[in-house]
Amino acid sequence: MRFSIFRYNPERDEKPYMQAFDIELTPTDRMLLDVILRIRDSQDDSLTLRKSCREGVCGSDAININGRNGLACVTPVRELKEPVELRPLPTFPVIRDLVVDMTRFYQRYYSIKPYLVNDEPAPEKERLQSPEERDKLDGSFECILCACCTSQCPSSWWNPDKFVGPAGLLQAYRFIVDSRDRATQERLDDLNDPYRLFRCRTIMNCTEVCPKGLSPSRAIERIRLKMLKVDDDEGGLALHRVPSIR
Amino acid sequence: MKRKYTALRAWVVQRVSAVYMLLFIAFFLVHLTVDPPQHYEGWHTWITGSAMSVATAAFFAALLAHAWVGLRDVLMDYVHVVTVRVALLGLVGAGLAAAGLWVVHILWTRHV
Repeated sequence: MRFSIFRYNPERDEKPYMQAFDIELTPTDRMLLDVILRIRDSQDDSLTLRKSCREGVCGSDAININGRNGLACVTPVRELKEPVELRPLPTFPVIRDLVVDMTRFYQRYYSIKPYLVNDEPAPEKERLQSPEERDKLDGSFECILCACCTSQCPSSWWNPDKFVGPAGLLQAYRFIVDSRDRATQERLDDLNDPYRLFRCRTIMNCTEVCPKGLSPSRAIERIRLKMLKVDDDEGGLALHRVPSIR
Repeated sequence: MKRKYTALRAWVVQRVSAVYMLLFIAFFLVHLTVDPPQHYEGWHTWITGSAMSVATAAFFAALLAHAWVGLRDVLMDYVHVVTVRVALLGLVGAGLAAAGLWVVHILWTRHV
């Protein structure tokens, strides 16, 4: 199978280039990550990438595969169109090869205050929540912060500093609907800004590429409705089947 | 510059104006299909009727508001140098205001 992989080492290369690799698949090569690691081990051990859990829960190996972002460890390799083009997440600063600088992504996430704000005296055991209240967090707490959504979002491309982005806004939603949080209005006021939330044009690239089947665009819609004080039937956000990369 | 409700208001204006324009255009097309004016006088009487005048004026107000929100969004997306963006927004605003005045002139001046 033929692969074309983005290479760039700022210490050696003047500019990035695509390097071709040919490799015979073995029966144990199920996922793209398996093959990338075998290429690295057998052909070019300078190939640099992030990987950890190899089961789609840590988000380390988020890369651009044939134009779509996804996790290499849960992308079946045999279905991919050849030559398989592997690139780092679009518009994120490249550290080396497929490794990108996630600093700005994390800063946008931190800016929405991703923690419970509740100054009421702590109860004896825990701040209680009914099962129905807990269900409202479904579809938002599962985010692994892999950045597939945010780096595929055109509004993020044009305003990466001021627009919070789909991942950040999904987490903002997670705290807005948390019944234990007491800063709901402050969170909504913070996002009611032409840049922070309202760069979103509902393009929905985020929902399309999320490897966990989450819907940041739906969460953003619900935040807008909350700003309008429209009572929406809340329940959690439904997960959708993850579309496959070809 | 963060004023309360500005971002949400623009978003609502864009959608409300879109809905109104859709309804107006649908009504307009249906009327022209079902009961087309046979001559200029018939058309003139219809379009300058008080209800139709107001509805038409509202249509153009919606169109200009919708266009302003849309173009402002485009400029905010792509133009990051504040002075250039403000200048372009000013030009767009002036252009739309001029178009608005022209609409007023057309709708309310007597045409022989």
